Amino acid sequence: MASTVQGLAYKAFGLHIHSEFPLPELPLTGEPGLIGSVSVIQGDLKERWEAIPKITPSLGVSGHEVMFESKDTAIFAIQDGNTITVSPAPGADPDCIRLFILGSCMGILLMQKQILPLHGSALVIDGKAYALVGRSGAGKSTLASYLMDQGNPLISDDVIPVMVHNGYPFAVPGYPQQKLWQQSLDYLGMNSSLYRPLFERETKFAVPVHDRFHGEPLQLAGLFELSAAPEAPVSLQPIQGMERFHTLYHHTYQRAIVDRIGIREWHFGMLASFVGRLPMYRLTRPEQGFSAPQQTSLILEALQQQQVKEMNS
Amino acid sequence: MNMNTADVLSLESVLVQREGNIASNMDGEKVMLNVKNGKYYNLGEVGGEIWTALASPVTAGRVVEIIRETFEVPEEIARQDVFAFLQSLLDEDLAGIVSQP
Repeated sequence: MASTVQGLAYKAFGLHIHSEFPLPELPLTGEPGLIGSVSVIQGDLKERWEAIPKITPSLGVSGHEVMFESKDTAIFAIQDGNTITVSPAPGADPDCIRLFILGSCMGILLMQKQILPLHGSALVIDGKAYALVGRSGAGKSTLASYLMDQGNPLISDDVIPVMVHNGYPFAVPGYPQQKLWQQSLDYLGMNSSLYRPLFERETKFAVPVHDRFHGEPLQLAGLFELSAAPEAPVSLQPIQGMERFHTLYHHTYQRAIVDRIGIREWHFGMLASFVGRLPMYRLTRPEQGFSAPQQTSLILEALQQQQVKEMNS
Repeated sequence: MNMNTADVLSLESVLVQREGNIASNMDGEKVMLNVKNGKYYNLGEVGGEIWTALASPVTAGRVVEIIRETFEVPEEIARQDVFAFLQSLLDEDLAGIVSQP
């Protein structure tokens, strides 16, 4: 394995990333990372993959190392919160490898560094960060994109690293790109021929958002959990009490990993350290139609009420 | 809720935490996750003290003493509150009875 890493350094997720694999969507940087640095290297992992104890056929864990295999793409090893090793399969699609490096690998690495990765998008509204979470298809990226059109910069798309400082959660910027489904592009009147599909034949597109990106960590002042239900009106309710723990657990990026790498106690303690200071809401929308504008007005209304409450307390 | 708390628990009952729970502090309150059923609990401040007292087998009477000393409450109130809380821990299977007099 190479001991010195050749290549450029990029900035994403609060990390200084030295990578042997080109990561063109990330900005280059000369500064150290807020959370630390990571090396992404190419290496032959065949023997290590054979030897590592398996938790599932495609996931292995041993001490400070997590390994996983994506057939026809690569074997990945994430070690000690500072090294990602990639062993590409013959003829693998580099775009696909990159999606894994910037997604699953970074999520696992952040947890190794004791940073909470939330699954969702974070945006700046009125100078504070708000997270949009929800299962796939709930409408996160459409709403995020609509909010960006209304002048609210993006902090992170898909994986939001959350750090806790003095009992307050902070959202750390990802990188200036949004992933949008064809349907979201249609709703938002965007032309997909201008954007690159994330993989061959995929209907999810990479949209660069350099001019609408907030590159500094910002206090996370609220979380909205999106869901779609048939014929449901657009509505918003606060999430209260212990259900808030469940919400954060549920929307932790790759939450299955939390148990498998033995960090559940850390994870729960981390949530407990700030959950009392993070307002949460459940936002429901009808399955059919484009309701981002109505959702946005409910969000803004909730934030206004929250401000009034804070001023009075 | 069990209405016969007094019949089930006595001051000499020995109780202990069940395993498989992760507890943490949340602004002075003890919160807990039961790994088996995936439920989250807020034990509160007093409940947190009671939970901590059950780390190793202890009589209900000793728990009442600890709560009286810590929160300076009259014995009767401490006894009522501790018994009610211990019963809910038993109901939720978060604690178990080691021995009964």
